[in-house]
Amino acid sequence: MKEIVMPGDLLFDKPVRQENTFVENGKTYATVMGLFEREKGAVVSLEGAWSPRIGDIVVGIVTGSKNSVYEIELSFFGRAILIGSKYDRQTYKIGDVVESEVKDIENRKTLILWRPRVLYGGTILEVKPTKIPRIIGKNDTMVQQISALTKTTIVVGNNGIIWLKGGNIGLATTAIRTIEDEAHTSGLTERIKQMLETNATK
Amino acid sequence: MEGFDVVKSQYIKEMIAKGMREDGRGMFDFRKIVITPGVIKHAEGSAQVDLGATRVLAGVKLQVEEPMKDTPNDGNMMVSAELLPLAHAEFESGPPSPESIELARVVDRGIRAAECVDMPGLFIEEGKVWSVFIDLYVLNYNGNLFDASTIAAMSALATARMPKFEDGKAIYEERTKPLSLKNHIVSTTFGKVEGALLLDTNIHEENAATARLTIANDGKLIRAMQKGLGGSLSQAEIESLVDVSLSKYAEVKSSIDNLMQ
Amino acid sequence: MASKADRPQLIIGGKRLDGRMPNELRPIRIESSILKNADGSAYLEWGNNRVLAAVYGPKEALPKHMADPAKAIIKCKYAMAPFSSMGEHGRSGPNRRAIEISKVTKEAFENVVLLNDFPGSEIDIFIEILQSDGGTRAAGITAAAVALASAGIHMRDLIYAVSVGKVGEELILDLNMLEDNYSDCDMPMAISPRNGNLVLLQMDGNLTKEQMSRAIEMASEAGKTITRIQKEALQDVYKKAGARSQNGNGV
Repeated sequence: MKEIVMPGDLLFDKPVRQENTFVENGKTYATVMGLFEREKGAVVSLEGAWSPRIGDIVVGIVTGSKNSVYEIELSFFGRAILIGSKYDRQTYKIGDVVESEVKDIENRKTLILWRPRVLYGGTILEVKPTKIPRIIGKNDTMVQQISALTKTTIVVGNNGIIWLKGGNIGLATTAIRTIEDEAHTSGLTERIKQMLETNATK
Repeated sequence: MEGFDVVKSQYIKEMIAKGMREDGRGMFDFRKIVITPGVIKHAEGSAQVDLGATRVLAGVKLQVEEPMKDTPNDGNMMVSAELLPLAHAEFESGPPSPESIELARVVDRGIRAAECVDMPGLFIEEGKVWSVFIDLYVLNYNGNLFDASTIAAMSALATARMPKFEDGKAIYEERTKPLSLKNHIVSTTFGKVEGALLLDTNIHEENAATARLTIANDGKLIRAMQKGLGGSLSQAEIESLVDVSLSKYAEVKSSIDNLMQ
Repeated sequence: MASKADRPQLIIGGKRLDGRMPNELRPIRIESSILKNADGSAYLEWGNNRVLAAVYGPKEALPKHMADPAKAIIKCKYAMAPFSSMGEHGRSGPNRRAIEISKVTKEAFENVVLLNDFPGSEIDIFIEILQSDGGTRAAGITAAAVALASAGIHMRDLIYAVSVGKVGEELILDLNMLEDNYSDCDMPMAISPRNGNLVLLQMDGNLTKEQMSRAIEMASEAGKTITRIQKEALQDVYKKAGARSQNGNGV
């Protein structure tokens, strides 16, 4: 049973250190508006900025370079840098769209990226980072379904930036926006499938 | 905050935890108050106040003006404050900072709410009243500008003389009649450091404080309050500080009364 | 404050001129997330007050020397639209009153926002008073708290604000403009409902210590209603989205 909680709402009368909670005087409170499941203890934020974790896949844009160190814009308040490898002949131009992975996080605000891949052509879409898990779906089911039914290549960044290329980008975008709006509802995968199939055959 | 301030704040917090203040004062003691009235002869009233190492100069000027539309029979009053760059390394020139505006407005509210200045007494004739300008010049900043400024403003008002009004204009060379005051206000500002409450914080204590509360009273009633900084205060804390504030009235007022003798 | 001499009778037969009891709030309605571009927003109607609040961030702090490497900084701008008051056209640009309100509002939110979660960043709070009828700083803070929550900003609490005044010796809650003009006291407060602590407190006029204590208690009591309206506004966004789904059953 999920309930919507608000910042400051009392969750437990004992200290439970979980994501998006804080403990004061032995009691646990929520720090964000989010969905709370008593059994799991954590609060899943409904809105807000991306909280980077090591291993997150991100999609960003090269905005600066100096001595093979690249600044990548991720719509994140801190910095993200990609350090070019001397074994890697690949260089990046300002404006390139790059998919990469968070290798390290320094002081919560500087991200070190690695395993880059340039995404040529296509377009990008900004969505709320909190909705990304729903857009990806369990074991990638949601994004694979959209990709299959729209023939669009999709790369989803945990930072809330999605790269799309080819096929019916318009329909893929509509599907993603619908998920963003209704991320907290159930039966979403089936509804999106119906929506895509109906529109794809038109 | 600069590195030195961080170290100082830490030291202040350790002292407070042991129930002590850097300069050995009790938690609710003011620093030494020295009032020097009449330092600016051109002004209708003036006073320089030293509260420990904090120094504020207040000047009062009177000027014939039109009354406000909603108060045609009352004079006007305006308080301004300048945090002069010469008063502290971190004060900068430029347009009024939010800090200086807050300071002026809090001092203004205390004096206005307690009806200290006899506003109807400033009426001259139809369409003409005296405007009282109170300018606060911070000359040296070492904490607690609110109380130092209120003492300076009240001292300057208490010693002010009104220019003569003749042939439709003010004669600034002839000033004999005292400015009429109907009430007196005393301001008390507290800082919260490590959960402890201190009166009249110096600059180091101010840097270590998480919350600030100014309470101005006229000996009987609370006349103005202002909470500052990012901390919070409980109802019980506020109530205890109101008691302290009222208990400080006589002490501060007597230092201004002494100027009149 | 207008002259007391020509003060109209503000309380007749125990009721105020707009029919309210002394401890009664004006009607409050809040809508959350109404601006597309902002990271969080709220529209609030509080009596005749009309207020928009928007939040941007956390984003890169600018100018860079303003950034605090250890925590987020909050910037707050409270402003009244030139057409917001009855009578004359207001001056545009920030006046001294607006600058002070912006400062104390910022400080109120510094108490609850978990600044250490976003080091080096900036969170912008914009409060625009579109129509004013007394108590606009309280209305602005109440709306901004909803905007911050809807932006997903990490906070210790959802704060609210309300003002208490005094007519003669009677305390009245939530003064409208007319009451504010003639009241013997105005005491705006912002409160963190989780622990009842005051994060904003201003006052001018005259109060005994007992009246001050009673004023805090009246504000806290009214806070139960204000908090409920804030939370309902935030939840409504998701209930509506749920209702739009064909077979969505909400959460």
